[in-house]
Amino acid sequence: MTATAITSDTKSHEELVDEKIVKFYLITALIFLTTSMLAGILVALQMIRHNPFAGIELFSPGRWRMVHTNAVAYGFLANGFLGCLHWAIPRLTLQPVANKKLSWFIFAAWQVVVGATAIGILLGEAQGLEWGETPVWIDPLAQVGLLLVAINFMTPIARMKGPMYVSLWYFLAAFVWTFLTYAMGNFIPEYFVSGTSAGAVGGLFIHDLVGLFVTPLGWGLMYYFVPILLKRPIWSHGLSLVGFWGLAFFYPLQGIHHFLYTPIPLFLQYGAIVSTIAVELVVTTVIINFFGSIWGNAGVVRTNLPIRWFYTGMIYYFLTCLQCAFQVTLTFQKVIHFTDWVVGHAHMVMFGVFSMWIMGMMTYLFPRLLGRNWASRSLCEWHYWLSTLGLFVMAADLILLGLFQGWSWAALEPWDASVDFSFPFWVLRVIAGLAMFGGLLAFLTNIWLTFRAAPVTAPVKSGGLLPT
Amino acid sequence: MADPTCESTGVVSTHKDRSIAWTVTIAFGVVILIPCLMGFIVKFGELVALTKDPADGGFAITPVINYLLASAGFFFLLLWAALNGMFRDLERPKYLMLENERELDAHG
Repeated sequence: MTATAITSDTKSHEELVDEKIVKFYLITALIFLTTSMLAGILVALQMIRHNPFAGIELFSPGRWRMVHTNAVAYGFLANGFLGCLHWAIPRLTLQPVANKKLSWFIFAAWQVVVGATAIGILLGEAQGLEWGETPVWIDPLAQVGLLLVAINFMTPIARMKGPMYVSLWYFLAAFVWTFLTYAMGNFIPEYFVSGTSAGAVGGLFIHDLVGLFVTPLGWGLMYYFVPILLKRPIWSHGLSLVGFWGLAFFYPLQGIHHFLYTPIPLFLQYGAIVSTIAVELVVTTVIINFFGSIWGNAGVVRTNLPIRWFYTGMIYYFLTCLQCAFQVTLTFQKVIHFTDWVVGHAHMVMFGVFSMWIMGMMTYLFPRLLGRNWASRSLCEWHYWLSTLGLFVMAADLILLGLFQGWSWAALEPWDASVDFSFPFWVLRVIAGLAMFGGLLAFLTNIWLTFRAAPVTAPVKSGGLLPT
Repeated sequence: MADPTCESTGVVSTHKDRSIAWTVTIAFGVVILIPCLMGFIVKFGELVALTKDPADGGFAITPVINYLLASAGFFFLLLWAALNGMFRDLERPKYLMLENERELDAHG
């Protein structure tokens, strides 16, 4: 069995990659990110009693919180990943997707699903499942959509010959896992089990969305983009496969760590704790691999912005997983359960890791897609620094606040007291959120300026060699 | 009594060293495995007993079945991949991927 290599019959980039759909996916992702961040700011303002839409049911913070989380997961991350997959999979397999018209159908259908989810939530049709609030009448459509995505992308992977590059392992797994995870979370608790069983499945769903949908797509894309930007192979392909198979076997059991100290049988809680800590070992192999790849060339993070985004995300990823290995212990849970620690942790994962990776990929891809170099290096820098520092402040603020809240409740102090001392932390969260939103506005402005600039005839400097 | 079995690496081990290493490894393994096995059997027995309870049976077994279904698929995929040579020449795909990228950009 020989691996797929370029021959005289191999299609060109233009024949393999539909750049227009990549562009559409990335722009749509940014529209949903803008919506999500605005919704997040709205909820943050409510926490400091400055909700500008107080009394309007459609703008009630409970509903906008769900729009915030759903728009990030299904609007921003899913669209961002799908766009990047339309670039990476054909280039990795040297095969186009199964059907380009099907790609466009999926694109349109996915936006309908996400848009309808937002409208359904705002109208009070939410399903009672964290991160699965998608109204029940949309679930079958989303499920079919995920099946079509799997068929469209798995076909080129199935057509290639020989040992697969690690990214393709991650992508294959993600297509299967996402389909199964969505079905498990949205249909089993709704129609088949109830009570604590449904709670246990809900826990698996929440965490598997992170670990079996977002994580494999994110790492798969990192294994693709990092080597081509560094112009050197990943340090150890064998070690990368250890990371992939470790994720496959340890991750699915973890979700119940969201429900420690509940009536779910303790052996399941212990199983979740042990597998979560085991995954930290797997994560360490992945991090070692990526830092081994950049070893001796670390200065590139100063000049190559996509690489800087990627490695910043990796540092946040390691910190998040390390935090996870501690916070899933029963001892730690006693303090942090139901506190703002969890909110800080969630932002560190979703924004600090996966959003940063998508921003890095966008920073690399937009110049190529638009045929123009970035219009402004300083706007690229503002985007990076406002996002990175804003997220750092927000995560640190909420994590610290979570500890104070937990200790206060453990000391049986009145609930009101914890609300009072949380107030300045919540104000700081608004400021940090505004900084992150400012970073996004800098990016959107830069895309607009770049789009309006004259196209270049020479190859664009998308490897991060930005204009000085 | 030296037994230079690893001269190329400069490491010289004796039969005595190796037997001590084996003894320690086996003893360590037994010390760890026996309590773990006992614990596992006890907990597994509790799980089996719980699943027979009409009130809590489904409650206990649902996440376990979910996990086994997910893992079984990947176990068979791992077997399939190994039997089809996916893990031979482990490092080759990383070089090939970069070569293909260069070629695509050069002719794109």
